Amino acid sequence: MMKKFINDPSNLTQELLEGLALANKDIIELVRGNLVVNKKLKDADRVTVVTLGGTGHEPALQGFVGEGMADIAVCGDIFAAPGPESCIEALKLADRGKGVIFVVLNHAGDMLTANLTMKAAKKEGINVIKIVTQEDITTAPRAEANNRRGFVGCIPAYKIAGGAAAQGKSLEEVAAITQKFVDNMGAISVSLTGATHPVTGGDLAVLEDNEMGVGMGQHGEGGGYKIPMKTADETVALLMGELLKDLSITSGEKLMCVVNGCGATTLMEMLISYRAAVKYLEAKGIEVVANIVNELLTVQETGGYQLFVARMDDELLACWNEPCNTPYFKKC
Amino acid sequence: MVLNKKDFIQMLIGASDALDEKIDEFSEIDSKFGDGDHGVTVGRISKVIRAKAESSPEHETLSEIFEALGKDIMNVNGGSAGPLYGSIFEGFGEGLTGVREADEAAIKSMFTGALENIRLISNAQIGEKTMMDTLIPACEKAKSSTSPLPQLLLDIADAAFHGAEYSKQCQAKFGRARFHKEATIGTMDAGAYSLYCLIKGFSAAINQQ
Repeated sequence: MMKKFINDPSNLTQELLEGLALANKDIIELVRGNLVVNKKLKDADRVTVVTLGGTGHEPALQGFVGEGMADIAVCGDIFAAPGPESCIEALKLADRGKGVIFVVLNHAGDMLTANLTMKAAKKEGINVIKIVTQEDITTAPRAEANNRRGFVGCIPAYKIAGGAAAQGKSLEEVAAITQKFVDNMGAISVSLTGATHPVTGGDLAVLEDNEMGVGMGQHGEGGGYKIPMKTADETVALLMGELLKDLSITSGEKLMCVVNGCGATTLMEMLISYRAAVKYLEAKGIEVVANIVNELLTVQETGGYQLFVARMDDELLACWNEPCNTPYFKKC
Repeated sequence: MVLNKKDFIQMLIGASDALDEKIDEFSEIDSKFGDGDHGVTVGRISKVIRAKAESSPEHETLSEIFEALGKDIMNVNGGSAGPLYGSIFEGFGEGLTGVREADEAAIKSMFTGALENIRLISNAQIGEKTMMDTLIPACEKAKSSTSPLPQLLLDIADAAFHGAEYSKQCQAKFGRARFHKEATIGTMDAGAYSLYCLIKGFSAAINQQ
């Protein structure tokens, strides 16, 4: 049975966006009902960053709008992409004369909307480059990346794009750096307990007490496999092994490592898992040069996390280290 | 028999009724291999259709009605169903360009328009467990049937039904369901089913008169 602090289920998105704006008055504003906009966008003399996606994944995506990351998040409804019209409005609003990076997660609805948006943007003469994030390694081999889902990687990708934009780089340069980053990302999920859909109350995924799901999607959809429960260290070893293999990462390389809690996994578990990840990598001579350990992209009260890594170099690290100020991620 | 604007308004209401009746079922089917909210999106689409049927100004042509609906449906913020249903309605509108009263040829053109328009955003084929399993046979039947109206609409709805039924035996190749691979065999595609209901609603509105 669904047990959540909500009102009318059909107003979830509107109410949560209003709440986000009220809680972060100096960082963001709500425009047209579903555009979460960086308050400093008006003064931006740089490339800007726009993204789109469903809600219900808080703090993603709209919680990462602000100076130094995304400038506008176009919000759909719970787990559902927005329509193209509001995306086109967002691109127009975002374009400060230096062009726009449009970050899109590889999910069917998001991609349909993004493709329709790109077509219309071309007609309108908006200078925009689309970057697709598709780092879930379990659904297809790297050679068929277009069959891979977008996971938490969109969020560090906003940071890389926003950082490159802040450095005054051109649209093509920001796009090339962001593309380099997304081409070198990998993520894999592990799930312990399912969640309920906040509108319908239906189950999103069902797992037995003694099993965990490896490689499930962020709406409880399939892919991957179920295995008996393991310890934190064993789980990280399993996931990290898959990630390193997929990205062909070897001793001496530098990585970003993100532990993204999916909603019901405690910060305690995330930290224990992050520790395991760093130790596992150190033992292989791989250095972690950037990290986030937190809830970034959740699926309601799903138990589990996404383990994410990305290959880093000096250029990416410089973008990563630029300051940013968003409701749920800050760097000074 | 020809179908005038009043008939088309009835068809839209019929479609909206047919969708509303199955909202929970759409979500339930979608919950098996998707995220369980197809009924939520279809409910919103149905509301848009009904609102248009009840408020279309007199000067609005058939083509304008469907094109406006296409645009509104595309922007219901409903994941992939929004753009897909939006494209179908836009296509219906394009197929009805210049038509004041629809004869058999106009209905054929209406369905052809839908298929051509959705092809701009989806390359799904029959057997890939999507709404195309319903749309393609329905459009083929519209083209090939020699029945006069209103039987023509019954023929199209019948083909749509068999298409939706056929989606049961297919393995998903698109959307979130594709990650469940062969486990999807045996369950109807939620989009194929909702599209069948919509087409059946069109037909029922005319054939019950």
